[in-house]
Amino acid sequence: MNEIGGAPLFFLEFGDIVIYFTPFTLTLFLLALVFSVFVLVSRPERQLEIAFGGDAYYAKEISLSELRFRRFMSIACGLACMGAMVTGDVFDFTLFVSLVGICNVGIVAAVRSRHVQNAAYQYGLVALAGTVPMFAAAGMVAATTGTLSMLELAKGALTVPLAAQALLVLGVMGEGMAPFYAAKAEMFRAPGAPYVIMCSLSSLLIFLRVTEVILLI
Amino acid sequence: MIAELLFATFFGLLLLGIHRKVIARIQRRPGPPVWQEILHMLKFSFKTTWVPATASTALFVGVVLVAIGIWTAALLVILSGGSLLVIFAIYMLHKIVEHGFGLSSGSPYGKFGGVRSVISAASEIPLFVTVAAIAIFTKSLMISDIVAYQELEGPLLATIPLAAVAMYVVLLSKMPFGPFSIVESKELVSGYKTEHFGVWRAGLEVCNGLKTYVLLLTFILVFIGSLPFWMVLIAMVLITVSLSFVCAVSPMLSPYDSVTIQTLIAGLMVAYVAILGVMS
Repeated sequence: MNEIGGAPLFFLEFGDIVIYFTPFTLTLFLLALVFSVFVLVSRPERQLEIAFGGDAYYAKEISLSELRFRRFMSIACGLACMGAMVTGDVFDFTLFVSLVGICNVGIVAAVRSRHVQNAAYQYGLVALAGTVPMFAAAGMVAATTGTLSMLELAKGALTVPLAAQALLVLGVMGEGMAPFYAAKAEMFRAPGAPYVIMCSLSSLLIFLRVTEVILLI
Repeated sequence: MIAELLFATFFGLLLLGIHRKVIARIQRRPGPPVWQEILHMLKFSFKTTWVPATASTALFVGVVLVAIGIWTAALLVILSGGSLLVIFAIYMLHKIVEHGFGLSSGSPYGKFGGVRSVISAASEIPLFVTVAAIAIFTKSLMISDIVAYQELEGPLLATIPLAAVAMYVVLLSKMPFGPFSIVESKELVSGYKTEHFGVWRAGLEVCNGLKTYVLLLTFILVFIGSLPFWMVLIAMVLITVSLSFVCAVSPMLSPYDSVTIQTLIAGLMVAYVAILGVMS
């Protein structure tokens, strides 16, 4: 089961922290990179809205300051996501995932609308709560096995407690809930497709990576 | 590789054409010719192309390239006997593509198609269940290992039939005109793809052809095993026809019902794999 994401292509060692690329992690890394480039080079769309009480319609604009902040958070989210996709260290993975959660809150909370900010607040609470089981999982892995290296754990000589695996998944679910908040009708009153998509993409990517991590360790 | 890619695209589109024809005949309509989807793709390739004034241009165009890119990668992975987890990832990432298509134009129709795509995320869980059930038995997620396992132990379709049902539901949720096709429902014009015309739509048609071919080929390799090429093609047609029957006789569900039923199916499948895991 050591090669569940395909045969390793490349290892990059930083002391005992190893970054590794398999066909699986490389695919996820490239997707995060491509969408980060989209965020960097694209301007947000202008959503069309119908004005009530007549035939008129108008296009929503996004202010420059809001655009800059959401773009910054989206790029930070993309970078955190890329880190989470290729890291070979359980603690680093939890750090990157919590950063993804923070950035997603930032992307949503920057919109100047009460409804959108309510959604961001609710998501923020869940993401905050999600960090507790996630870091607890990393702590349990270190305490029971003496290592946080996924490559060491994948050798099968050390047993990771089922509770640690369950807590890790629970934590990632909390951080990766963004699409469910972004899918709220209120959220889509706000324009900014490249940024909202980064919320969805990052959540999906961390779900996919945690699947590999759980199967690996 | 180019030849395989072209064949997969055209045969996938032909399967979608057969799908439309079978649905039409069941509903006592003449229906379009089976090569209609291929004609669509060719027609859109030469039509006037534009980007809406309200669109996020880079995303509007880029997402088409991403759609073709990920399914080309999926075809490459499956032909080389790579990891099933990569196919799983690409299938899930297709959701982002639909989301991107829908949101990038600024159109309310596309926007709601994209929103429906996100809220129907439960449709992906049965695929995860399939992957987990296969891992329990084969101890590997490499497609080449799974095929080799079936040559020794017999088709997984007989060993874990409910996992095959889970994968079948996944295929059904991606077929057009099906009970779960809420992302391109007619009240949203064409849903997430409403504003993509001309060569962008041709790109989307190529993606749909590739996606259909790759998913059906994955189903056959993972649950039946290695077959002669002509039998693989026949099996693909038979599975498509069975899916068409389901689509023809079941109405499109409302978004709420679609998500509820998909969640229930996902819950049942998770319980099934948990039982398998305990028993193994």
